[in-house]
Amino acid sequence: MKGSNSKEENPLKVNRRHFFSQLSVGIGSIALGSLLIPDLFKGGGIETTDLSKLGIPHFAPKAKRIIYLFQAGAPSQFETFDHKPTLRKRMGEDLPESIRNGQRLTGMTSGQDKFPLMPPAIGFQQHGKSGQWISDYFPHIAKIADDICIVKSLHTEAINHDPAITFFQTGSQISGRPSMGSWLSYGLGSENKNLPSFVVLTSRGKGNSQGLYSKLWSSGFLDSKHQGVLLRSGKDPVLYLNDPDGITRSEKRHLLDQVSSLNKMHQVETGDDEIESRIAQYEMAYRMQMSVPDVMDISKEPEDIIKLYGEDCQVPGTYAANALQARRLAENGVRFIQLYHQGWDQHGNLPNEMAGQAIDVDKASAALVLDLKQRGMLEDTLVIWGGEFGRTNYCQGKFDPTNYGRDHHPRAFSIWMAGGGVKPGISYGETDEFGYNIIKDPVHINDFHATLMYAMGLDHEQLTYKYQGRRFRLTDVAGNVINDLLT
Amino acid sequence: MATISRPTWFNYLLLGLSVFLIFCLVFSAYIELPPLLNWLGKLHPLILHFPIVLLLGLALLALFKKHIPPALFRITVLSVLLTAISGFFLASEITDKGDLLVRHQWLGGGLAILSALWYAFEDEISQKKIIKNTFPGLIILLVLGTGHYGGMITHGEDFLDFPKMTSYGKIPENPMVYQDITARILDQNCVSCHNPNKKKGELLMTSISALQKGGKSGPAIIPKNAEESEIIRRLKLPKEDEEHMPPEGKKPLSQLEVDILEQWITYGASDTLQLYDLNEAEPLAVLIREFMAPDAASKWANFTPVADSTLERLGSDYLTINRISDQSNALAVDAYLPPEYDSKQILKLQTVSSNIVELDLSRLPLGEAEISLIAQCKNLEWLELDGTPVTDSLLDSLSVLSQLRFLKVYSTDITDKSIPFFKKLKNLKQLYLWDTGLSKEGLESLGELTPGLFINEGIEEPLKDFFINTDSIPTQHNSSLK
Repeated sequence: MKGSNSKEENPLKVNRRHFFSQLSVGIGSIALGSLLIPDLFKGGGIETTDLSKLGIPHFAPKAKRIIYLFQAGAPSQFETFDHKPTLRKRMGEDLPESIRNGQRLTGMTSGQDKFPLMPPAIGFQQHGKSGQWISDYFPHIAKIADDICIVKSLHTEAINHDPAITFFQTGSQISGRPSMGSWLSYGLGSENKNLPSFVVLTSRGKGNSQGLYSKLWSSGFLDSKHQGVLLRSGKDPVLYLNDPDGITRSEKRHLLDQVSSLNKMHQVETGDDEIESRIAQYEMAYRMQMSVPDVMDISKEPEDIIKLYGEDCQVPGTYAANALQARRLAENGVRFIQLYHQGWDQHGNLPNEMAGQAIDVDKASAALVLDLKQRGMLEDTLVIWGGEFGRTNYCQGKFDPTNYGRDHHPRAFSIWMAGGGVKPGISYGETDEFGYNIIKDPVHINDFHATLMYAMGLDHEQLTYKYQGRRFRLTDVAGNVINDLLT
Repeated sequence: MATISRPTWFNYLLLGLSVFLIFCLVFSAYIELPPLLNWLGKLHPLILHFPIVLLLGLALLALFKKHIPPALFRITVLSVLLTAISGFFLASEITDKGDLLVRHQWLGGGLAILSALWYAFEDEISQKKIIKNTFPGLIILLVLGTGHYGGMITHGEDFLDFPKMTSYGKIPENPMVYQDITARILDQNCVSCHNPNKKKGELLMTSISALQKGGKSGPAIIPKNAEESEIIRRLKLPKEDEEHMPPEGKKPLSQLEVDILEQWITYGASDTLQLYDLNEAEPLAVLIREFMAPDAASKWANFTPVADSTLERLGSDYLTINRISDQSNALAVDAYLPPEYDSKQILKLQTVSSNIVELDLSRLPLGEAEISLIAQCKNLEWLELDGTPVTDSLLDSLSVLSQLRFLKVYSTDITDKSIPFFKKLKNLKQLYLWDTGLSKEGLESLGELTPGLFINEGIEEPLKDFFINTDSIPTQHNSSLK
C-alpha cells in the first residue's frame, strides 16, 4: 500500500488515483454548473460574486470597530440603569411568587426562605434631553445620556458566571467556540496589518471578582490568527514580542527571512495553508515590535485628555488606562477591542463595592465616548458597556438596606451602547415594576450578537465556518437583528 | 369520420349542464349559493387542468384528421362544463369583479358552450370543409385565452412580465406623500395580491378609501391611529407569525418602509399632503427624505470595476484598501505611518482614485503631492486629515471634492483663511474642527454661514471642566433616598 502510505505522510498531497477519482466528479459538476449558471465560464476578469468571500462585509457597515467595555461579574441593573421605584415602596416585602414564577435560583440563595425586595442604596435622576434614568453612582455617564442607548431588556440563559460570560463571548454556554471578536476578525479582516484585529485588555476593581480565562478570547475552531491578543500592562505588553538582549533588528530580519524560506519549502512539500498563516504571523510580530510600543505609549497624549479620563489613566493596568488605550487602538484600526473590568459580583456589601467599582469605570467610560465623539470616531465605532447577566431585585443574606447583596438574575438586565449606527439617547425594552421580568422588547444574547454583526456589515446567518461536519455561526441557530436599535 | 354514438342520458346531462351554465353566465350577479356549492368552487383550480389538456388534445386530433375516440370526447366535454360551472361557484364569493375575472369568465363559459356544440353537431361539422378546421382552431385559441387570464388572476397580473419591467419614475423634489411615496411602497410590496383581480382577504390596497374600507380583518388603516391599524399590526408581527405580511416567501418591507407607512397613518393618511407641507423635523419628513436619498449601493453602482489583484498590488502593510462591501467597487482606504514614510505609497492610489469614497490619512506627514492626489478622488465622501501638516492653501485645492460630507481636520494648523474653503463644500455635513488656528469668531461665522453643517469644536468647555474637576464619588450617597 504504497499510495496510502504517501497520503498519510502528506494528507494534502494528491496522488494519481485520488486525482482521477476527484477529476471525474469535478468535470461532472462543472458541466452541471455550466448548465445551471450560464455565466459560469463567461470570465471577463472582473470580480466573482462569491458571497462567502471573507474579509469584506456583506453590505455597507455602520460600524467599523467595536470597543466592548465588559463589566465582568455582572453589575446590578437596579443600581445602574433600571429605575424601579416600586422596590422602595415595597421594601422588605417578599417577592410575589407570581413574579418569580419558578425561576431557578443559584446555590447561594436557594436556601433562603424569604426574598425581601431591596431598593437601591442610591438615588436615580433623569439626565439629558432624552431624560434617561441613571443612578447617582455614575455622574459622568449621566453626562453622556443623550449619546447612549440603554437596553433594559437583555436576557440570557445562564445563571452562573462562567457559562454566562462564555455565552456572551462565544454564543454558547459551553466553551470551545470562537469569541465574537474572532468571528468579526474572520468575517471582516484587519484594518491595520501591523496590529492584531482583536485585542484584549483587562483590569480589576476592588469588588468581589470572578476569574477571567483566555478561553474567552480564543478563536476556537477558527484560524489562530483571529485569536484575541492580550495586551499586558507594564514593560512587555505582548509577551515574547521583544527581541532578546543583544539581537539587533537587522539580525532579526535576517533570521525571519531564513525561517520564512524554510517554512515555504515545507509548505511546498505539504500544501498546508496553516504554514502560510504562520509565516504571516511572524511578519506581523516583527512589525508589532514597532507598532505596539507606539500605540501603547501615551506620553504624547495632551494634558486635558489625561484629565478627561482621570489621572488613573497614567497608571498602567487600570480601567482608565485601558479605556484610553482602547481609543488609541481604535484609531489604529483594531477591529475589536475587548476590555474586561473585574469586581462586579456583589453578593454582599453591594453599596460600598458598587461605589468603588463605579469610581473605577464611570469617568473613563464616559470620557472614552466623549473623546471618540470629538474625533468623529463615534460615527464608525460602537462602544458597549455591560456585564454577563443581571442581579436579583431581592436581597441576598441579611436584610439591611445599607449593606445588602444581590444574587444572579438572568431574566432581565441592562447594558448601554453608543455610536456605530446605534440610536443615541434612547432606552429600549422594559421590565415589570419589580424589574424582574421583561414586559416589552426582549433582547436575547443571540439577538444582541446578530445586531452587532449587522452594524458591522455582516449577516449573522451568512458568516459560517464548517467544522466537524456542520456549519457554525456566532448565533448558531437563533438570533434576530433588532432594527429598532439601529439608525 | 364515423358517426359518434351518443347515449341519450348523456345528451340530457350535457343539455342540462349547458343550460345551467348559460343561466349562471347571465344571472351571475343575482345568484346566492349554498355554502356547500361555494366550497365545491374551490375545486376549480384543481380540475381546470383536465379540460386544458383534453381539449387541446382533441382539437389537435381533429386538425390532423385522426380518429377521436367517442369516450374521450364525452369525458372532455363533461370536464369542460364542470370546470366552467365550478369556476362560477368560486367566483360567486367575489362581489366586485375586476376586468381579468370578467374576461376569464366569459371566455371560459364560451369555451364550454362551444365544446358542447361541437360535440352535439360533430357529424354536421365534419361534413363541411370550411368549418371543420375552424372549430378546433377556435377551441385552441379560447383555451389559451382563458388559461392566460386565469393564470393572471392566480399569479398576479405582472407574473409574465420580464424581470424589472416595472420601473418607477423618479420621485419629484416635493413629492405627494401618498401618491409618490406611500402608494409606491404599497404597489411594490402589497398590490400584487390585493388588487381588483386578486383580493386576498377581500382587501383592496389600490386607494386610500379601499384601505379604509379594509377586508376580512376590518379596516387596513385607521387615520391618525397607526397602532390600531391592521396593516401596521401585521407588518410588525414577527416573521414567523401566520398573520405577518407580506406572507412567507415574499420580500418583507424594510424598516424604513414600515416607519413611513406608520407615520403617514399617524399623520392622518392624507392623499393631498406634500413633503414641503411638513416641518423639517417632523418624523415623517425625516423618513421620506431618507427614503428619497439615493442609497449607497446604487450611488456607487456605476463605479469602474476594480480587480482584487489591483487592490492587492496597491495595498501594503501600512496601507489597507477595503471594498465598502462585498461586490462593491467603492473603496475605503486606511493609511498608517510606517517607520519610513514614502509618499509613493499614497500616490500609487491614483489608478483607483475615482473609486475611493473613504480615505483615512490621519497623522501622516502629507505634502503637496498627496493633497493633489486627494483632489483627484472625485467621489470622496469621507476624509480624515487630522494631525497632518495640512495648510490653508493646500486645503483649498480640495474644494473640488463636491461629494465630501465628512471631514476631519482637527489638530492641524489651518486658520480662518480656510473658512471660504469649507463654505465651498456644498455637501459637507460633518466637520471636526478643534485644536486648530481658527479663531472663535471665525468658527462662529462659519457656523452662521453654513446652516446644514454640524461642526464639532471638541468637547464643550463646561462638560470638560466637569470631567476634570469632578470625581466619581457619588455625592448624593444615601441622601436622595427619603
